[in-house]
Amino acid sequence: MTEHDPELDLFGSAPSDPDAPPVPPPPPAEARPKVWSVSQVNRAVRGLLEESVEPLWVGGEVTGWTRSRAGHCYFGLKDERAQIRCVMFGREASQLPVDPEEGMKVRVFGDLTLYEAKGDYQLVARRVEAEGADGLWRLAFEKLRSKLEAEGLLAADRKRRLPRMPACVGVVTSKDGAALRDILSVLARRAPWTRVVLRSTKVQGEGAALEIAAALDALGASGVADVIIVGRGGGAVEDLWAFNEEPVARAIAACPVPVVSAVGHETDVTISDLVADLRAPTPSAAAEAVVPDGSIVLETLRRTPARLGRALTGASERRRAAVDARVRRLERTVERRLGPARQALDAFAARLERTAMSGVERRRARLQTIGGRLDALSPLATLARGYTVATSPEGGLLRRVTDAPAGTRFHLRLADGTLVADSVGPLDSDNPHG
Amino acid sequence: MVEREKQELPLEARLRRLDEILARMESDDVPLEEALRLFEEGVSHVREAERVLAAAELRVEELLASGRTRALDVGND
Repeated sequence: MTEHDPELDLFGSAPSDPDAPPVPPPPPAEARPKVWSVSQVNRAVRGLLEESVEPLWVGGEVTGWTRSRAGHCYFGLKDERAQIRCVMFGREASQLPVDPEEGMKVRVFGDLTLYEAKGDYQLVARRVEAEGADGLWRLAFEKLRSKLEAEGLLAADRKRRLPRMPACVGVVTSKDGAALRDILSVLARRAPWTRVVLRSTKVQGEGAALEIAAALDALGASGVADVIIVGRGGGAVEDLWAFNEEPVARAIAACPVPVVSAVGHETDVTISDLVADLRAPTPSAAAEAVVPDGSIVLETLRRTPARLGRALTGASERRRAAVDARVRRLERTVERRLGPARQALDAFAARLERTAMSGVERRRARLQTIGGRLDALSPLATLARGYTVATSPEGGLLRRVTDAPAGTRFHLRLADGTLVADSVGPLDSDNPHG
Repeated sequence: MVEREKQELPLEARLRRLDEILARMESDDVPLEEALRLFEEGVSHVREAERVLAAAELRVEELLASGRTRALDVGND
């Protein structure tokens, strides 16, 4: 008892205290007993408790957990037979991922003390942990997850597609963390044309969640990023906790561009992973997910001119083929349309021919009959024998050479027709007599 | 690092346009004149995109509270 105030020594010098001064002589009989105030007693007991009991872990079931406006938590810890009052002050309580539920088995690390105002002794909790793997963290995680799920924020159809080739990648993480280095090295290797805009934040500890959420809001609102990576490297469950908090989840959900969450290692799944448009197992993997591999892009690009060329050739061949096909189709159409007409025409022509022939034959036959009858009378019979009759175009017979002087047109009637002739004048030898 | 000018056409837009061009050129009904024009446009996109890819060096900036960005010097390790 180092801060021992002899005035408040209730019990005088305890016999157990080896350094105590010798026992004073008993008070005179007539003296009145010393009376302690309640405050003095409580303060003394508190001193005893605090100084003689080391901080300790106490296990039990939580009962009657309440949280005051100021953030202090009051609860009881009990087993089958006994109960102890506990308090967890705001500063420590703010580290709790969630308030434990009634009856939950927990262990509490803290100091025994006495609440002087009430004279109650109590355990001042520094830490409260639930039994089982990750206990309270798991509970908090599940609670927030079901809340967000009920709001539809985890639905698969909310997930946005990442841009194929972002011009600018936003990053929300600590400027000094390994995560940033990993992300930058992957981006530099795969997509060095990319612009990276970092919004540096605290990624663990007091206020980290609010900072991360604010950074996401700011980066989203700035409009520079086409996609955002939010995350940090690996750590204990408490270190990653900010990424399991509601403000971060809501900021991700509200972000105007797709968000890739990359928190810790492969095995760590956080609420922000669930809300994000894509969960990457690590920050490096996130960087790989947001940009294409430049060498593949380049290779594709190098093949593109040849492909363009083939497409052009193809297009021209297709045009030619299309023209050919059109011509052929046109021909077929003409054929199809004209076929029947041609047939009709042929038939008509044949009939016409037949008709014409028959007309001619008939006329010829009649003429022959008539001709035969006239033969005897006709000079035509004479003509048939080789004689020729010369007439003027008007039909008058030419009897003398003077009837057809040079330059006169006249007709020569032969047996089978008439020749048209022009006179060049008489033959001299035919006209010896002038 | 000097603040570089904003690229006139982001790489992604060029690549998307190239996809469109190829799809159009490889379709059955593209008139030859259009195919020629697309061919020339496509080749220019390829050249530009190659230039961007070849020249680039990762540019890292930090978003300040003011909403502006500032080049961020990150160690080369």
